[in-house]
Amino acid sequence: MSDALITTDKASVDVSGCFDMATGILDRRIFTDEEIYQEELKKIFGRAWNFVCHESQIPNPGDFMMNYIGEDEVIVVRDRQQSINVLLNSCPHRGNTVCRAELGNTKSFFCSYHGWNYDLDGRLIGMPGEDDFYRNNIDKKDWGLTPAAKVENYRGFYFATLDPEAPPLEEYLGWVGKVGIDFMLAEGDIEFLDGIHKNRLQCNWKLAVDNLYDWYHVKVSHGSAIKIGILDAAAMAPDNQMVILGEYGHGIGGPGISEEEQARYDARLASGEGEPQWYDRHAERRTSPETREMLGPVGTRSFGHPNIFPNLWVAQTNQVCLRIPRGPYETELWWFNFRRKGMSEDEQKFSAFMQNHMFGPAGVLEQDDGENWSHSTRGAKGTFSKTLPLNFSMGNKADQVSQDPSGQSCIETVINEHAQRWTYQSWQDWMAAENWPELMANHSQPPTGEV
Amino acid sequence: MSAYQDLSLQERMLLKFEAEEFLYYEADLLDSRRFDEWLNLLADDIHYWMPLRRTTQAKEVEKEFTVPGGMALFDDDKTILTMRIQRLAIGRAWAEDPPSRTRCLISNVRIDSIDEDELTVRSNFKLYRTRLNSEEDSWIGRREDTLRRSEGGFLLCRRHLFLEQTVILSQNLSSLF
Repeated sequence: MSDALITTDKASVDVSGCFDMATGILDRRIFTDEEIYQEELKKIFGRAWNFVCHESQIPNPGDFMMNYIGEDEVIVVRDRQQSINVLLNSCPHRGNTVCRAELGNTKSFFCSYHGWNYDLDGRLIGMPGEDDFYRNNIDKKDWGLTPAAKVENYRGFYFATLDPEAPPLEEYLGWVGKVGIDFMLAEGDIEFLDGIHKNRLQCNWKLAVDNLYDWYHVKVSHGSAIKIGILDAAAMAPDNQMVILGEYGHGIGGPGISEEEQARYDARLASGEGEPQWYDRHAERRTSPETREMLGPVGTRSFGHPNIFPNLWVAQTNQVCLRIPRGPYETELWWFNFRRKGMSEDEQKFSAFMQNHMFGPAGVLEQDDGENWSHSTRGAKGTFSKTLPLNFSMGNKADQVSQDPSGQSCIETVINEHAQRWTYQSWQDWMAAENWPELMANHSQPPTGEV
Repeated sequence: MSAYQDLSLQERMLLKFEAEEFLYYEADLLDSRRFDEWLNLLADDIHYWMPLRRTTQAKEVEKEFTVPGGMALFDDDKTILTMRIQRLAIGRAWAEDPPSRTRCLISNVRIDSIDEDELTVRSNFKLYRTRLNSEEDSWIGRREDTLRRSEGGFLLCRRHLFLEQTVILSQNLSSLF
């Protein structure tokens, strides 16, 4: 057996011409081509650090929850030594799943086919007929559940990779990925809530990912939600945008405030005058020295949407969302919900209101998103229509990357498509590399100067 | 409070008939897209709720549904339900433009209890939806409704919906149940 879980076929699909960073033109076949999709499962999901759970979701030994790495089902379980293990849900004897529940607590994973039984760390601990039928001629230590190659956590957020050559998690996240997670912790410790909203859309997973950076669609796609007053249009799609791009495709895109504005908010909040506005509700909470230290001078001023490449969106609603591929035309959205410890009752009510009413299948925002993404996917299916290019040119070569003395860099501008271009550029890097060493050597560096 | 079981057969038949008439009428309003009239059948303090459901081991089946106050698919009061309906009328509600075609079938109606002016009614439903030329969804589930007598007839003051799906297999839940 090979050491690597994922062995990449050398004769792989060439997608090098699919996206042109210079013009922002994208080949829409990447949303529907079956071969490209199969390659993504190997080269992106099979290699990346995939979010599997927050530590608070499985607090006790034996607690488990199901998740996916690409289309492979994994059991995420806490063992008796308090380690969190990520195990492929497939019995090595016949391939059967050994766990069929989405969540729960168990002493072991018992295969329902022939009774092979696995400990919480995946070790095979017994099977019927070990003496009588196998004549003690099987080495149990070779036949445990296959663990992810590596499992690491950043501040309680657990990720797993199937590729032993992957760099350490923190190196993978870089400062952009880490700040993306820090956003959730900037106001204090958090705990995840019981219940993940899950539903299935008829769209390619990348369309759901690129949308999280898209502040252009808000007034049109969510026009009805804005008109009924559940959302404030000015707050939802402010012209002041900040884009932060990180290695390996991570990014943060969305509203931000300038240094001058930040200084004005700080002064006003210090004087206690006036009602907090949408921005300074965040700015107000980000005044403590600890928070500023955690997020850095640029991160503090950003209120955008982080994406941890490939598919973890950190939303502003005390939620993270996985966009899980289910074939080229299908994606499951999983909305994980959390609360800040020590929230007041009012804050908690408001938080739950947002969590239950904005996103998810009945959410007043996401109902309309799903409609648009599925029809965009449909538009990449036609024999003729799929040959036509898509336009991701907004703001191309119109902005400058500014570098803060702290080392953090960002693009401060109006509504734009910088982060979407970065996503597809990075996607192309991932698809071109045959393995992690190649990806590490050849991946695009976040841009500097004109973008 | 008189226990439902203590009533005579005729009294129970009448109550059940009244409840069924209300449920059928109300379903017809939704299927006919007469949403404003449907809103008028809701009490001001309505709780419209659909918890999340998960696949669990048989021994942990009590973990199947999320609990009231927690995460849910619907956790609406009248203000939110009114907003959902206003949204459809003002344009740019893309999931419902063009509109869905729905048909709600209600069966297995049973009165659960009576409490002064309120009736708790259990029923099963199947909501069938088609949209555009090829989209087809159907949702089957159970409802627990509380109907309150008022001057103009019953008002719906509680609707708890338990769907027979865990991962929602439809693109959205833009229909009301």
